[in-house]
Amino acid sequence: MRIREDFYLNFIKDDRYMYLLSGLVNTLLITIVAVVVGILLGFLLAYVRTTHDKTGKWKIANAFCQLYITVIRGTPMVLQLLIVYFVIFASVNVPKIIVAFIAFGLNSAAYVAEIIRAGIMSIDKGQSEAGASLGFSYTQTMLYFILPQAIKNVLPALGNEMIVLLKETSVAGYIAMNDLTRGADIIRSQTYSAFMPLLMAAAIYLFFVMIFDSLVKKLERNLKNSDH
Amino acid sequence: MTTEQRKPLIEVKHLCKSFKDAQGNMEEVLEDISVDFYEGDVAFIVGPSGAGKSTFLRCLNRLEDATGGQIFFEGVNILDNKVDIDRHRQKMGMVFQQFNLFPHLCVMDNLTIGPVKLQGLTKDQAEERAMKLLERVKLADRARSYPNQLSGGQKQRIAIARSLCMEPDVMLFDEPTSALDPEMVGEVLEVMRELANDKMTMIVVTHEMAFAREVANRILFMADRQILEENDPVNFFENPKNERLKAFLDKMI
Repeated sequence: MRIREDFYLNFIKDDRYMYLLSGLVNTLLITIVAVVVGILLGFLLAYVRTTHDKTGKWKIANAFCQLYITVIRGTPMVLQLLIVYFVIFASVNVPKIIVAFIAFGLNSAAYVAEIIRAGIMSIDKGQSEAGASLGFSYTQTMLYFILPQAIKNVLPALGNEMIVLLKETSVAGYIAMNDLTRGADIIRSQTYSAFMPLLMAAAIYLFFVMIFDSLVKKLERNLKNSDH
Repeated sequence: MTTEQRKPLIEVKHLCKSFKDAQGNMEEVLEDISVDFYEGDVAFIVGPSGAGKSTFLRCLNRLEDATGGQIFFEGVNILDNKVDIDRHRQKMGMVFQQFNLFPHLCVMDNLTIGPVKLQGLTKDQAEERAMKLLERVKLADRARSYPNQLSGGQKQRIAIARSLCMEPDVMLFDEPTSALDPEMVGEVLEVMRELANDKMTMIVVTHEMAFAREVANRILFMADRQILEENDPVNFFENPKNERLKAFLDKMI
């Protein structure tokens, strides 16, 4: 039984499954924190950008946000990670996982910002006018009327961004982070058998992507049910 | 009763508005408009399309920014940039051609979100107020429906109720029946007729000439960026003086 022996060698012997398990924990941790950072910062960026587009205010802040989005979307994620680790935090001793939180969060924010901005722009101008005519301020109108509708419209895109992010964290190995991909690679280097650990890692990614996907779909359905 | 002795609710003085067109040229849409509106007025603004009627109405609550002049609302020049326009807008209800109900909120929440968030009412107080208005527009049974489940006429009646729920001092109507199927126009006009009978101050931009004649106490004719003629309904239709108005009324029949 080749498969059985392979399985034993790669996962059971010397508790090698722990590489995958601890790697998975790191992968999920990075994803979750980066999603939160990305959404918060992305909202902020989108808010500045749309406020500028709609009212003409905040020229400098808008230019900065635009530059940020252009640079982040225009350079590879791996490079951004390396720059945060080896350049920005070169002289400070910061845990690698914190570096990963920051690098992936900052990266995701740029994409989330554009998604949310598209969502805000997709809402009919009449909605802001209705809010304004009742006496709501610009910010209140945004909060009570525009954003709830905008987010619903872009939920599939946001869900997609989270799935991309989950898989993107696999480059964390470049700064010697023990994530899921690197865990599988360590097993490979110890057992000289690539098939089992790499496919197992792939299956685990796929599993979590599917869970993620079904959660987003469920949320979409719930939001859809709330108005029709 | 002569309106001249009363203090105007809205005083428009030398209002100007110009847009920048695609080529960057300034295009004037409102040219030195001065007019007063009084409490209890039911003023209808009619005229050919492109005359600036809607723009004029939207300048009154600053949905459009005027380029010159003054608008005094309850004694305050609301075109002054230091003025907190949001506070004054609470007193000026507006009804749109496209209804603009909030599709993610049920009918009840569409009505109550303003009073709750802006006027500090409790949810119960606001719902009580809203329920009375829903009964008034005969849609009390749709309180928990969502806007997408309503017909156009129902939506517009809800939109009127939503504005009234803020207890405004004046209601602005921007072509309230223009987006409706013909068989739904009547129910919306009925609500507006009752409002007028209840002495609500109303400024209405419309193409419903027969309705204007029936309900208005003043009719203003707008064309070529200006108010060219103003009169009571009878004289407006029977003795038009301005040539543009005569031509306009001829085309109406």
